[in-house]
Amino acid sequence: MRDRDLRRWRSLVRARAEREWRELSVEVVDELACHLADLHADAIARGAADDEAQQIALDTLNAASFLELSKRPRSRRGVGYGHDVRIALRQLTATPIVSAVAVLSLALGIGANTAIFSLVNSLSLRVLPVKEPQRLAILDAQDNGAWTYPILEELRRRSQLFDGIFAWDTQRFDLANGGVTEFVDGAWATAGLFDTLGVGPLVGRTFTEADDVRGGGPDGPVAVISHTFWQRRFGGAADAIGTRLTLEGIPFTVVGVMPPGFFGPDVGRRFDVIVPVGMLTTIRPERTFEQRDYWWLSVMVRLKAGQSVDQANDALRSLQPQIREATLPTHWPAVDLAQYLKAPLTLVPAATGNSSLRGRYERPLLTIMVVVVLVLLIACANIANLLLARATARRHEWSVRLALGASRWRLVRLLLTESLLLSAIGAGIGFLVARWGSQLLVAQLSTQTNTVFLDLSVDWRVLAFTTGTTVITALLFGVAPAYRAAGVAPMEAIKEQGRNTGTGASRLSLASALVVVQVALSVILVVAAALFLRTFTKLATLDVGFDHDRVLVVTMSAERAPIAPAQRMAVFERARQAVAALPGVHSAALSFVTPLSGHNWGNRLEVSGGVALDDSRRSALRNQVSAGFFETYGQRLVSGRVFTDRDRTGSPPVAVVNEAFARRFLNGANPIGHTLRRYPVRADEAPLEIVGMVGDAVYRRLRDPVPPTVYSSAAQSIDDLPTVEYNLNVRTAARSPALLTRSVADAIASVDKDLALTFRPLSDQISAALTQERIVAILAGFFGALALLLAGLGLYGVTSYAVSRRRTEIGIRMALGAAPAGVVQLVLSRVSMLVGLGVLIGAGISSWASQFVATLLYGLEPRDPATLVGSAAVLAAVGAIAGWLPARRASRIDPAVVLRDS
Amino acid sequence: MEFAGAIREAKKGAAELVVLAFLDDEPRHGYELAQLIEERSGGALTFNFASLYATLYKLEERKWIQGRWVEKAGQRRRRYYKITDEGREVLAAQRKEWRLFFELIRDLAGVRYA
Repeated sequence: MRDRDLRRWRSLVRARAEREWRELSVEVVDELACHLADLHADAIARGAADDEAQQIALDTLNAASFLELSKRPRSRRGVGYGHDVRIALRQLTATPIVSAVAVLSLALGIGANTAIFSLVNSLSLRVLPVKEPQRLAILDAQDNGAWTYPILEELRRRSQLFDGIFAWDTQRFDLANGGVTEFVDGAWATAGLFDTLGVGPLVGRTFTEADDVRGGGPDGPVAVISHTFWQRRFGGAADAIGTRLTLEGIPFTVVGVMPPGFFGPDVGRRFDVIVPVGMLTTIRPERTFEQRDYWWLSVMVRLKAGQSVDQANDALRSLQPQIREATLPTHWPAVDLAQYLKAPLTLVPAATGNSSLRGRYERPLLTIMVVVVLVLLIACANIANLLLARATARRHEWSVRLALGASRWRLVRLLLTESLLLSAIGAGIGFLVARWGSQLLVAQLSTQTNTVFLDLSVDWRVLAFTTGTTVITALLFGVAPAYRAAGVAPMEAIKEQGRNTGTGASRLSLASALVVVQVALSVILVVAAALFLRTFTKLATLDVGFDHDRVLVVTMSAERAPIAPAQRMAVFERARQAVAALPGVHSAALSFVTPLSGHNWGNRLEVSGGVALDDSRRSALRNQVSAGFFETYGQRLVSGRVFTDRDRTGSPPVAVVNEAFARRFLNGANPIGHTLRRYPVRADEAPLEIVGMVGDAVYRRLRDPVPPTVYSSAAQSIDDLPTVEYNLNVRTAARSPALLTRSVADAIASVDKDLALTFRPLSDQISAALTQERIVAILAGFFGALALLLAGLGLYGVTSYAVSRRRTEIGIRMALGAAPAGVVQLVLSRVSMLVGLGVLIGAGISSWASQFVATLLYGLEPRDPATLVGSAAVLAAVGAIAGWLPARRASRIDPAVVLRDS
Repeated sequence: MEFAGAIREAKKGAAELVVLAFLDDEPRHGYELAQLIEERSGGALTFNFASLYATLYKLEERKWIQGRWVEKAGQRRRRYYKITDEGREVLAAQRKEWRLFFELIRDLAGVRYA
């Protein structure tokens, strides 16, 4: 009873305060209500009737002036910014649809920005989670992509140069013991990795110099595993330390687990297992540490305290001649050796780690970053327009507030609070969208052979970025309505009685300007989306020169199989025959390389009767294939013949070349009958006779022009290739190649059960080669469509508003005999002016800006006219729809109704 | 005009003095204060309900009194105000000033009407 009384008095106090445009804190309302309730109760106690008692209390309330009370709020918390937020919330919930549209577009806009930024952050900005990452530097391996073990040895011998040095190489290790492979992401590393990075184990120990010796130290082969792998494979058990792990058929002892945040020196990769470099020859018997032309290691150093990279480079350069001299690759031609001696050893800062992904994705990511910023700007323009419309509706309220003594600053503050609140809610949802979106994107980056890992945890940069974006966004769309509010005169709107006269027109011009901006930005985004989509389509539908559907690639590894090296090719050939005999298999062929696999093999060549070429133009890519290869790949024979079973050891060595080869080396002449050999010519090497020419086929990258390619016969084995791994290409008769995996595995196992097998459909390999283009196209397409939608909505809103303002005018025109078609034309002429202006500006900016994405495009010019015209047409169509709907409504106005209303 | 302003200021000062004086004995809530002032002045002095609280908040802001929500058995929750040490000092000083002022007025009046 008492509580109900108190509640009633509270709401009466609040209502009374509202009438005076005063804001009271909750505590003050409570206390005043308490007073009135006491007054009421006292009067009753003194014998007054309830009605009478209530009147006494009400009179007291009505006689009170709240002026002093609210001027000096007791608690600043009560009516300070918290109060603004409550008022803003009330405003936002009062117009739920407008607010929902605004929040949704902000969530998408801010979310997309945060998602892309967190990728940029983890790929390029975030420093490695190790001790003093600023002191790390990497030995730039521009020429060969990596360093040899002898070079590492020479550097380690001069350990006084740095505070630490280590080398590593990423490698997938097979956990299975023969049969179908089960890969983990692993790495070789020298023992210096842990000390140099300053990272210790979570459990157990890391490996030391004593472990990092050839063939393993006192504990035999040892491995350090990642925290994730420890959890996944051992369930985080402490007794994982000391257990055996089979890698490539060799048992390793797990000696330590790294802490959870550690992923190694490579950004974009994560290792599950690290083994000492000293185990190289145990796992890869065909390798030796002395090999001076086996480029496989990345080298990182820790600079001495206070040492700059330049100082370290000077120190390194002074020792360079000795290091180069001591590691000269044997068998290299003199011209290459001279270059080898000259090439400078250069350290580059590596606080943010090493990353092959960075080079590939930096530009695409920055492009998408620009795209999402533009989307956010379009969303801002839309929301500004929505709020402007609402601002016009609220002018009446504001002028009353001003007349009652509210300051202009207070109004502006209230409106900005509203904008900030909208933006913050949008950002909150956007943040969740971003977490999910960035993880989805990273998952898209991974391919079957390359797992991409990026640390996407939220750090201060991401938080600062999102907060900054939120505030800037709020200012962008909140300033126009706030400016409008500051211009309201006290009581002016009351006199107007809500009629939108002059102010409506100025709102319309501001809104129109915003629409022009939106259209222009949308044109830029649509052009970008069209360029990237067309690039992707061109690459995806590119004639690769072979038929990649229904081909299964099986990589057979004889590393762990007890087969004498000389016998391997014979075993592979028997496996091929066994698979070829399977039902459902159309053909099967061996090849040393498969297209777009990331592997390649090439030589410089000399062709008999060929044109004179510079050394740099003599390179051709090579492949070694068995009979049936061109049939399996569906590669066209242009002239001569392909390999047959007669091309075997002992028969004259033959080669098949492609058309690009004939063009480069023979000026397009028929190559049949010419011979080729490696350049510089070695006396002991027999030339290969060209017996056939096949059509051009993609080899290394889809974007590259097809390189001159020479195929030699696997059965002749005239090249001293490592035969430890070979590919079997299987064309199925009809079924999907993946369905054949089981029977192919069984057939190969029947020949040799120790061969390790990795399966992948050729089409997957091609699709993996298009990862970057696909992601850029999908993102640009998605955001282009979003931009179109937002621009369409903006245009629709502004046109509708213009039509509603001109209702009377249109009614009069129609009463005077204007035809509905004329009215539609009247409305559309304005829309087409706005769209036309926006398209012109947008097209101008696009044709200037497209030069920055030229390297991401394929098969079309950045200023591709068809794309520009097409995008303009799309915008025009969207504009036409957005304008036509309100125009049609205008043409249906009943003049009689309008004239009566006015 | 100036005269009316002076009286208003004097009244404001007097209101603060009265509130502080009533709180000097014991902590009281707003309603109780209003009743007391009306009773003791025989109805001659009444506070507008809002200005009583405005005065209380002002005194609290100056840290001369301190308010606290108290819930007593069988009663509703009320905000009780207690005078602070600083408030007591101010009260003593104001009492002295007012006494001097009254004496001065009386003396001046004595000179004029003697």
